[in-house]
Amino acid sequence: MKEFAVFWGCTIQTRFPFLEKSTRMVLKEFNLPFRDIDGFTCCPEKSLVNNVDHAAFTLTGARNVALVDEAGLDLVSPCTGCVSNLATVKSGLKADPREKGEVNALLKEVGREFTGIANLSHLVPFFHDAVGAHKIRQKIKRNFAGMKLAAHYGCHMIRPGYALRNDDPLDPKKFDNLMTALGAESLQFPTKLMCCGQGLDRVDQHDNALYFARLKLKELKAVGADALVLCCPSCFLQFDNNQFLMEKEGEKLGVPIIYFTELMGLALGFNAEELGMTAHRVDVTSFLQKWEAVSKMPLNGAGIDEAMNSAGALG
Amino acid sequence: MLEANLNIRLLEQCSRCEACYSICPSCRHLPGYDPREVIKDIIAGRFEKWLRSKSIWQCLECHYCLEMCYQHYGFENAMTALRAVAAKRGLHPPQVKRGWDMFAKTGRLGEPALPARKKFGLPEPAAGGAEEFKKLHALLKAKRSEKENEKQRAKGQKAERT
Repeated sequence: MKEFAVFWGCTIQTRFPFLEKSTRMVLKEFNLPFRDIDGFTCCPEKSLVNNVDHAAFTLTGARNVALVDEAGLDLVSPCTGCVSNLATVKSGLKADPREKGEVNALLKEVGREFTGIANLSHLVPFFHDAVGAHKIRQKIKRNFAGMKLAAHYGCHMIRPGYALRNDDPLDPKKFDNLMTALGAESLQFPTKLMCCGQGLDRVDQHDNALYFARLKLKELKAVGADALVLCCPSCFLQFDNNQFLMEKEGEKLGVPIIYFTELMGLALGFNAEELGMTAHRVDVTSFLQKWEAVSKMPLNGAGIDEAMNSAGALG
Repeated sequence: MLEANLNIRLLEQCSRCEACYSICPSCRHLPGYDPREVIKDIIAGRFEKWLRSKSIWQCLECHYCLEMCYQHYGFENAMTALRAVAAKRGLHPPQVKRGWDMFAKTGRLGEPALPARKKFGLPEPAAGGAEEFKKLHALLKAKRSEKENEKQRAKGQKAERT
């Protein structure tokens, strides 16, 4: 496997360092060839940067891609926004030689060049494609059989499809496949692919952001999800932090939010505390308790064969 | 230099198609949000009236419309364009202003939380690229004003000739 740099992004490192922790633990446990490299800046974030200055967006993204291009590495990120933004810039420049020329003329003055040879992947499709369900099954110590998990892809894991090209942008399967590889039931529900709505918090529309959080969380309650599993710090902010804020106002929805790397970490045998899950604002205890309870339940069809073939009154 | 633009010909198709409307989460859930109206106004040259509206910031940038769109264009590009114009005129939401200022100053939207890193036993964060980032953005600025001057000069010469 080609070595890759991890692009942590601003949100994980600023607000959720425990997500970096679980990601590192999981990458290490799978012996994946990852590295930290110097020089990354903000990806840049689309709604804050591209909406204000398109050239600054393109130039900043191209510079970040140039860093991995030059180092001969691929790039993997546990943040959907970062990958989506970087891939959007990359595919835009690859399709527009004139713009690429302009960007490279500027990059040259700081000694860099965008070539766009590095593969840019989000952690979830990366695990699906480069590690694979088979290897995951071999490696894990405990699975999630009996658990109902709701996978939330997060828009930017798969969209825009032309830039990411990693799954069906309107009917993705890979995150679901990973849930199944971990032994869980991957729930299907109407708002599965709907945007989390966190973007509204970034434009001073907090009530609208809460509206979107509530919509999905209520539905998950109704379909009996044991947890919402996601792999995007912005979606995590929306469902963990905003759910906590609603709880404080007396609206308790009680849906534990689990990061993909935490789920994988638990399956690998790490405990919730060392994975940093105690730093969540919405309590994950109900999820962990259910997991304990289902693992004590008899396996499907346990004992029936022995009972049918045992000696008895019929001789 | 690297400037954004809006493809009006594609938008005209948009105004007649609207396939993305039914899948857009904000269209479905936020009362009064209707990019179809915005697009019609852009085509008719009446975009100004939207610059102060909350609507243009309600696009979630989920890119769902892009995937539904036969032209791969969609609502989002219209909203992005209006946001950019609003930002140029200082009409963007305070949080976007703060985010942009932080980005322009540090090249990031936040610095690594060092005490928490220690607590979780995380390594020192890799060095950022703020210095080079600032240099690059200064170059972009210089290039832009050079272009602007050229434009003004060309205008001046044209005026002299006529």
